Amino acid sequence: MASRNDRRTPLERTEYAIIVSAMLLMVVVTVQPILNLAAISLSDPARVPRMSGLSIWPDGFSLDVWTLLLNHPNVRQGVMNSILITGAGTLINVTFTALMAWGLSRPGLPGRRFLFVMVLITIVFEPGIIPDYFINKRLGLLDTYWSVILYKAVNAWYLIILIRFFEEIPKELLEASELDGANAFQVFWHVVLPLARPALATITLFYLVFHWNEFFRAMIYLTDQSKWPLQVVLRQFVIGGDKLSMVGVQAMNQFTGASQLSIRALNAGMIILTILPILIIYPLILKFFTKGTMSGALKG
Amino acid sequence: MVAGDEQRFDAALDDGNVPIDSRWDAFVRGLRRWWPYYVMMAPGIFFFVVFHYLPIWEAKIAFEQVRIIPPNIWVGWKHFETLFTSPVFWQVMANTLIISGMKIAFVFPVPILVALLLNEIRSGPLRKFIQSAIYLPHFLSWVVIAGIFIAALSPSGGVVNQITGFFGLAPRSYMTDTGAIRWVLVYSEMWRSGGWDSLLYLAAIIAIDQQLYDAAEMDGANRWQKIWYVTIPGIVPTIATLFILNAGMFLSADLNQVINLSNDVVRSTIDIVDTYVYRIGLQTGEYSLATAAGLFKAVLGMLLIVVAHNVSKRLTGKGVW
Repeated sequence: MASRNDRRTPLERTEYAIIVSAMLLMVVVTVQPILNLAAISLSDPARVPRMSGLSIWPDGFSLDVWTLLLNHPNVRQGVMNSILITGAGTLINVTFTALMAWGLSRPGLPGRRFLFVMVLITIVFEPGIIPDYFINKRLGLLDTYWSVILYKAVNAWYLIILIRFFEEIPKELLEASELDGANAFQVFWHVVLPLARPALATITLFYLVFHWNEFFRAMIYLTDQSKWPLQVVLRQFVIGGDKLSMVGVQAMNQFTGASQLSIRALNAGMIILTILPILIIYPLILKFFTKGTMSGALKG
Repeated sequence: MVAGDEQRFDAALDDGNVPIDSRWDAFVRGLRRWWPYYVMMAPGIFFFVVFHYLPIWEAKIAFEQVRIIPPNIWVGWKHFETLFTSPVFWQVMANTLIISGMKIAFVFPVPILVALLLNEIRSGPLRKFIQSAIYLPHFLSWVVIAGIFIAALSPSGGVVNQITGFFGLAPRSYMTDTGAIRWVLVYSEMWRSGGWDSLLYLAAIIAIDQQLYDAAEMDGANRWQKIWYVTIPGIVPTIATLFILNAGMFLSADLNQVINLSNDVVRSTIDIVDTYVYRIGLQTGEYSLATAAGLFKAVLGMLLIVVAHNVSKRLTGKGVW
């Protein structure tokens, strides 16, 4: 690397500077709007209306917005619902996906090809929103947490990623433990799972992010507002513009007049609150997703 | 199960000591060996049947007249005829194709460019920093992204109007501007996936033989020549695969995105097949018509993906699955 740098001409150095600046510009464009919202949510509510969309530093620090949001029953309920749906959903997803992938990764399994085709068909043919809705209705799942927890219990893509990973486990390892008298489940538990830890972590994160971000199914399946996950609450507030139900008439009166602004601040706070869990697990995402996507998605 | 039977049968023949007429024995032996796997796969298979196959059966209401008191009446293609003679449906199809076309033209090249530039950055920490920042939007929901865009595009205090204001332009309300809203879809898609999607190209670039670069350098190639003659040819198969994959998704212009960035003013400009299905189905209650539209899209989409897969396999040896 050093020798290469030595050989650099001024022209090459300028080129490099342009490339780096272009990428840094992309970083700014990506991150600035998010930082701006974070800054707004932490600013003095009275100063928010005059705040610039460019600033990334709070104007007069205040936790008013966050206090109001975190004490708001709808928001608290939304957070609890999201955690429940994400937790239960991911647990079910990962368990069933791993078990199914283990069977499908064994070359001799009778009916393997049939099952593969069955899985692939679901990737290319999706009959749509309405039939999905009616299945949930028929099973009595509508307006229950199960409707969103069980949605896509096994994701075909993630199943395939895991099968590919399991297939790469050296055959000798599996055969050795089978010779030791281990049954299919014991091999799975003691040999496959420990070896597949990175792949399992990857699909766990896939499912976690999927459930946390899911809003459409929750919106159409859950009519009872007390079951809404955070994403739907956020949508109602920020996109639906339903401020009253969110803030409550009393709080609304406190805020109007002095600050129509606080709505802007509350919006910003809600958005940041919804992103927060993703930001917390982001280092893990970077570690596992990156690898998983690079190796899994487009092999074949 | 036919394929499985054959396999077991072949295995039995390979053993040499199993007579032809003992298929039953082979079956029993297969059962003894494989049943634990089927027990483990049972919940997964069950959910596939319930959540992927029962809906296909359920889709038959596209051919039925729904009645309050069952059973429904079979009406054949009636709803499809209604659909194909409805001007709204064709408007929606046109919107979908236009939006998908714009996304292919303007969003698709971005991650390629990002990957090429990223690959030029030799400093590890700097590169990591840039990557961690530009991958982030991929993990945000469309509700959140719409919230961010509504704020950033706001005529009062939004960052975009502040910047254009610097140059003396009057503030615009992009979210309620029928001329701008499709570009909002394009740009927000770019913002969300321009960084992350570069990962796939980066993976392809890393796989390129370093000797090619060394040889090019020996021949006196500069940075751009190396990109043009080594890197780009090296990632052409990936570009082709992803392009075809994108083409396969042409009829799904992203329901989640549109539903969150839409509003009463601009609806007719960005109403796509999926939002149309949602609206007439779940909001107006025309279940059969909505399912018919959904099925039409599903069948066309399936054809596109299968064709795309085969074209990709032939051209690059890489399929979609």
